[in-house]
Amino acid sequence: MKNNSNLSALLKGILLENPVFVLVLGTCPTLATTTSIIGAFSMGIAAMVVLICSNAVISALRKVIPDTVRIPCYIVIISGFVTIVKLFIQAYLPSIFSHLGVYLDLITVNCIILGRAEMFAGKNSVGRSVLDGIGMGIGFTLALLSISLIREVIGAGTFAGMAIPFIIDHRIEFFIKPPGGLLVYGIMIAVVTKITNGRAPFKKEFTCEGCPSAGVCHTCKKVLKEEN
Amino acid sequence: MKNHIKNVLSLALICAVVALLLAITNSIAAPIIKEQEEAAVSSGLVEVLPNGEGFEALDLSEFTLPETVEEAYSEKNGGYVIKLRTAGYGSDLILMCGIDKDGTVKGVKYVSGNETLGVEVTYGDNLVNTTSDTIDAVETVAGATKTSAAFKNAVKDALNSAVILGGGSVDIRDEATILNDNLSIALPSAEGKFTEIFITEEVGNISAVYKADNNTGFVFVIGENFVAADVNGDITAEFGEAIKNEISAVAPKIINSTMTEIDLSGFADMPSHIQKAYKTSGGNYVFDLRAAGYGINGDKYTRSNEYIEIKVSVTPAGKIIVCKTTAQKESEGIGDACANLEFYSQFNGKEEANYGEIDAIAGATITTNGYKSAISSVFTAIKILEGGAR
Repeated sequence: MKNNSNLSALLKGILLENPVFVLVLGTCPTLATTTSIIGAFSMGIAAMVVLICSNAVISALRKVIPDTVRIPCYIVIISGFVTIVKLFIQAYLPSIFSHLGVYLDLITVNCIILGRAEMFAGKNSVGRSVLDGIGMGIGFTLALLSISLIREVIGAGTFAGMAIPFIIDHRIEFFIKPPGGLLVYGIMIAVVTKITNGRAPFKKEFTCEGCPSAGVCHTCKKVLKEEN
Repeated sequence: MKNHIKNVLSLALICAVVALLLAITNSIAAPIIKEQEEAAVSSGLVEVLPNGEGFEALDLSEFTLPETVEEAYSEKNGGYVIKLRTAGYGSDLILMCGIDKDGTVKGVKYVSGNETLGVEVTYGDNLVNTTSDTIDAVETVAGATKTSAAFKNAVKDALNSAVILGGGSVDIRDEATILNDNLSIALPSAEGKFTEIFITEEVGNISAVYKADNNTGFVFVIGENFVAADVNGDITAEFGEAIKNEISAVAPKIINSTMTEIDLSGFADMPSHIQKAYKTSGGNYVFDLRAAGYGINGDKYTRSNEYIEIKVSVTPAGKIIVCKTTAQKESEGIGDACANLEFYSQFNGKEEANYGEIDAIAGATITTNGYKSAISSVFTAIKILEGGAR
């Protein structure tokens, strides 16, 4: 049973609780970096590394971090990992560094990472938090890859920078532009919701109880009061 | 209270640990990042100077270099890479030029610009392996004469700069040469020989007109543009409508203008500055003036006994069209500034009422005053000539 739940902690991020398509987190980097497959892939991996590390550390420190200052603590930890990842990418993978640009820094405030810290790592053991980080990271990367595959092939007529014959002469540049990104994003959400029968969004974790802003949100207080 | 202290301490502790980790990471990554940035710069430089290594950006403020030079890098073996910006056919051309220690061009790379034909990218290859002695023999590209000539002149500047940066001296293209180069780029058929036409008609923004000595056309200077026209004054180069219209409106007037000398003996009160007067076919007047500057009025040990000679064209209403110093022997480095375009062009467009608004030449009051009083005589002369027109 325990193995089962570990496995599900890993796998749920890929489809059932996919951070992009189901939790609808991290929309900004999703739309911004999916114009090319290479950019999307490197963004996904970079975010996954930060996610795994920050999940592990936040989970390990969950008993030490005082509840009232947990968000600042999370942000300091996350931004520390982001800066470390950024420095290493800049040093060893300069082409990817110039490709990702400012979005690399913005991983710090990526909702997925902060959201997982709040929803999961702050309440679960280190092992499960790492698995959650891996699963969510893979889910994020796959989501970016699928969106960027559609956008780059149709919009630019290339695959990972290589020209595709015929399509390159008949590309639809709309898909590379932000509205095209939103359109593909919306369609993907619809497809995933269809596949999962829309089950995931009704889990308790995604209601007001799991929301980082619950403490200061008026709507949420009202909802919780009624439920109790 | 206890809780508050605990909050502050844990946050501070986390911050301290993260800062320590960042410091460690930075100490590992920073040297690699720096190396990479240097490699990125030198990979561009190596492209124009193969085998170059150890590039260093030079501080150019210590050197007097041609205007086209923007940046320069020295290299371990004594070569240089020079970044140039020069005027091309439609916009500025930016080039990188690599020169080895023997003064041979090793590479010319077109960095950016907005040229029309696309040949500019490869034209630089023709200049590779030339030196300052052989570069003149490289032919310009038919159909892209201006661009290729601009390339060539820029590379010449780079060759000169390499000599200067190496501590040698060389004649930099002076203003006259640059002007001639610009004219030649605009009108290659003139083979580099031009004569300036003295403008006697009102011509709007056109600042100068040059005629090809072999009668193949004209070049109009308007703002920073050199606009070529054929012998009839029809513009042959690609330019914007505004410039075209402006020039074609006045080109025939300038080209067809003729002058007839006026016999001054009949005018008793003519100011003594006036040497000769002409009436142009457009109805304007042209005067040859003599101004008594420092050469006449200055200290007796230094004076040269020479007048400043000035040519002025004026409308019948008394508005100066163009003023130009044609000869002078004022004190070197001081009064001889009266021969500079910056000084005498101040009089262009002036009338009697406002001709006093002229910036004096620093340290040359006598020259300036002599010059101004000569110019003011023009207004008197106009009144006499117009009043006594026969």
